[in-house]
Amino acid sequence: MATCLCDAFYPQVAKATVEVLEHLGCEIEFPPDQTCCGQPAFNAGDWPASREVVRHAVDVFRGDKPVVVPSGSCSAMMFHGAPLEFEKEKDCAAIEAVGVRTWELTDYIVNGLGIEKWPGRFPHRVAFHTSCHSRGTKSGEAAMKLLSSIEGLELASFDDAEQCCGFGGAFSVTFPNISTKMGQLKLDNALKEKPDFLVSADMGCIMHIGGLVGREERPVKCLHIAEVLAEALKSGAIGSIARRSASQRLAPH
Amino acid sequence: MSDREQIMNRVRNATASRPRTEYPQWDSGIVHSRGIRDSVDHVGLFCQKFDAVGGKMVKAIADLPEMLKDAASKKGYIDPELLPLVRDVLTGFEIDTTFDRAKVDEYAFGITRAAAGIAESGSLLLTGGSTSSRMGALAPWIHIAILERAKIVPTIPDAIALFGSERNALFVTGPSKTADVEGILIKGVHGPGVQMCCLV
Amino acid sequence: MKSPQSIDRYADALPQSVRETVFEGTRVPTIWRREALARDYGDSDPLRKLAAQIKQHTLDHLDQYLEQAETRLRENGAEVLFANDAASANSMVTRLLRENGAKLVVKSKSMLTEELHLNPHLEENGIEVVETDLGEFIIQIDDDIPSHIIKPIVHKNRRDIAKSFQREGLGDYNDDPETITRRARKHLREKFLKADAGITGANFVSAESGRIVLVTNEGNARFCITAPRLHIVLVGIEKIVPHDRDFAVFLNLLARSGVGQQLTVYTQFINGPRMVGVPALAGSQSPGFETGSEEVSRASDPPKGGTPTDAPTTDGAEKMVVIFVDNGRSSILDSEYREVLRCIRCGACQNVCPVYRQASGHAYRTTYQGPIGAVLSPLLMKQDEFASLADLPKASSLCGACQEVCPVDIPIPDMLVRLRDRAFREGASQAKAGTPSMEPWAFLATRPKAWRGMMQAANLANLVPLNLMPVPPLMRWLGSRELPKFRGGEFRSWMKNRGDDTHHE
Repeated sequence: MATCLCDAFYPQVAKATVEVLEHLGCEIEFPPDQTCCGQPAFNAGDWPASREVVRHAVDVFRGDKPVVVPSGSCSAMMFHGAPLEFEKEKDCAAIEAVGVRTWELTDYIVNGLGIEKWPGRFPHRVAFHTSCHSRGTKSGEAAMKLLSSIEGLELASFDDAEQCCGFGGAFSVTFPNISTKMGQLKLDNALKEKPDFLVSADMGCIMHIGGLVGREERPVKCLHIAEVLAEALKSGAIGSIARRSASQRLAPH
Repeated sequence: MSDREQIMNRVRNATASRPRTEYPQWDSGIVHSRGIRDSVDHVGLFCQKFDAVGGKMVKAIADLPEMLKDAASKKGYIDPELLPLVRDVLTGFEIDTTFDRAKVDEYAFGITRAAAGIAESGSLLLTGGSTSSRMGALAPWIHIAILERAKIVPTIPDAIALFGSERNALFVTGPSKTADVEGILIKGVHGPGVQMCCLV
Repeated sequence: MKSPQSIDRYADALPQSVRETVFEGTRVPTIWRREALARDYGDSDPLRKLAAQIKQHTLDHLDQYLEQAETRLRENGAEVLFANDAASANSMVTRLLRENGAKLVVKSKSMLTEELHLNPHLEENGIEVVETDLGEFIIQIDDDIPSHIIKPIVHKNRRDIAKSFQREGLGDYNDDPETITRRARKHLREKFLKADAGITGANFVSAESGRIVLVTNEGNARFCITAPRLHIVLVGIEKIVPHDRDFAVFLNLLARSGVGQQLTVYTQFINGPRMVGVPALAGSQSPGFETGSEEVSRASDPPKGGTPTDAPTTDGAEKMVVIFVDNGRSSILDSEYREVLRCIRCGACQNVCPVYRQASGHAYRTTYQGPIGAVLSPLLMKQDEFASLADLPKASSLCGACQEVCPVDIPIPDMLVRLRDRAFREGASQAKAGTPSMEPWAFLATRPKAWRGMMQAANLANLVPLNLMPVPPLMRWLGSRELPKFRGGEFRSWMKNRGDDTHHE
């Protein structure tokens, strides 16, 4: 699942995701009829609209292969949000069936494929923003594990790292003042540590934080973790691991 | 229908219509704090914690005059049963064995018994049955609790198990305090500003 | 920036000094909480989950446990009443005070009584009410409302308080916190001693014994129940726990979660008015305290075989009345939001919430604020008034920090989205304000060809000065942030053109 944000604004993140997974020997299928996971309407409270979109997504991703997404919030929508809004619906089971095989990217790499060390180099100072949707999942831990295993990568910890960046989907434009202040606070804290890059596993966070960085001309670049992983691979011209079928590693959450 | 009947009906309907979860059996160990898990010297731990929460241990009855040297006056209240314990030591002090509310601002200290102590939190257990005057323990700036060493129990669940039919029990954990003004800690709001304990 | 939502506008208009005070006042306890729990429990999740289960079980059997608590309290000589709603509770309290000739009442901090608006009602009926918690006292003299569940004046600084004290005639302007506290001690002590009645809330009630638990750091609750002769307790029906031993679970979580303390200074356990003649605590009459031949005179003689349970003075209320209040709780019990009734009012969720930190409590316009307030406040409203508070659940980025710190694991984020669904279905306009309509998006997102077409076409947006487009959500984004360049369709073509060994359908 590429996500609607990558579709619209961040093709390089979706590309990096494909490259990273292929390096690990995965066979990638990109169903071209995919659109969005349904989260925007879910968060807004328009559950009928959200459910229509989820039904479409579930149809697009029918089958039994793991669905891997470079986004904590989209994957959480599939395995947590969707079942919630389908509680009283007849097709709840079908929705849940896709949710249980949907993985956030770093969770999939570390816990789905068993990768503990990431090859290559990324000789830069990195502040990692743990997105809120990683709460209650293994994603945050997985991302940290991968980043800290990369040669040359200096992971900088910063104050109040667990505080939300302020994106929250429509929240960013319905509560723009609070959203902006939250983002500025996040930046202030992260930039105190003078990182070269601010990295996140969620495009929503990056769009919001990156948007502030751009407007306020702050001295940092924002990257998605998939881009860091792909970049590390390129640095060492690493060959890809022997092909293996991704469907062998299906494990419910 | 009375308010009670209306409420009970609504509550009954609500609970009847949904699954009822079981009571989760639990072992006391899950609530024990690190201090008590790591320690066997309950008395030592109690003294350490009492101090840590801002209390002042009194090493011996004989030390009382020294501990009270900065008290606002030499007037205090004492549980009559404790008078023999301190009579020889607190010469020169004016001590009432009945708490006179009219003199509430004159008492600089109150001496009463604690029914037990809790090692893991440095708390005193005061009860109606062991506290000769609740005002005597509450109102004066300094409260001195006389506590028998053997009455120190390890944990909070142990202390709760002592309640029995006691109608009024109280854990005292340090001196009265507030941080309402800009988060700055100030001692002695309504209760004692100085909380002492003497083990006997 | 102009904003469609009142909580956002409030946050924007907040004076910097208030924002700083609130920020420090919430950030610091958040750190203390984490340290206090880690120090003693390492991973405190098992304890939180246990607390959640105990509370859930109690709620699932609330009828039984309520009746049990009522019976126990009555056996101990307390009067037990039930109040449907605020009007009922307030008139009950007024009647009790009148019947007992009470003209001056001292109050310990109780969020329930704030919810009921008890004080104005009593004052209208000629009864003088004095708040005795320092923060609540300041709120009272300022005619303000609390902005936090456990730190009512987290939004005030020492200068504000000094001015208020001066205005109240409590002395010349002095903003030293110690001086402020000493003045309050002196002033309120007089009230305690003159008061005819004390009104408190209750943190927990044991069904097994009827014991009411009251926790404070200041000692004001202690005074409220020791000095006056009448003690009235107002407590929500959901505050019950099954057994006394369960107190240990909640007490170990409450103070740590709220302020990072193991226990508050005073933890009071009472289940009846004072009584003379009942056998004292087992073991309190040990030989160590026998005073030998000393004759000790007392105001009254102990009965055979035991010591009086309370001092032979006038300490402790002679009469205790417990009023269990519903005020909307039974409706919540009978709904998919039942778990919110587990709340033990620790304030941890308010402390950690990034939105609360920016907006402060008063932005929420209600008694209960922040994350718990965003769920509880709309639900406590009557059915047809829900819409007036339906914007509260929108004031969240759904970050989930609240649930993570909640000692009883209330699934607040899930409840917030459910409430958004309800607000949408009911057409609540205040909730809707500023939210872009989802229909155009849903239309496209269920039609892949149209979606792909839109992605291609929207590249034109790069040619347009977006900041001039009169699309409100866009304007609000661009008010403070850049938007990335639109690159719709790029990934799709890349994927398609990748080479024949790339498998695609």
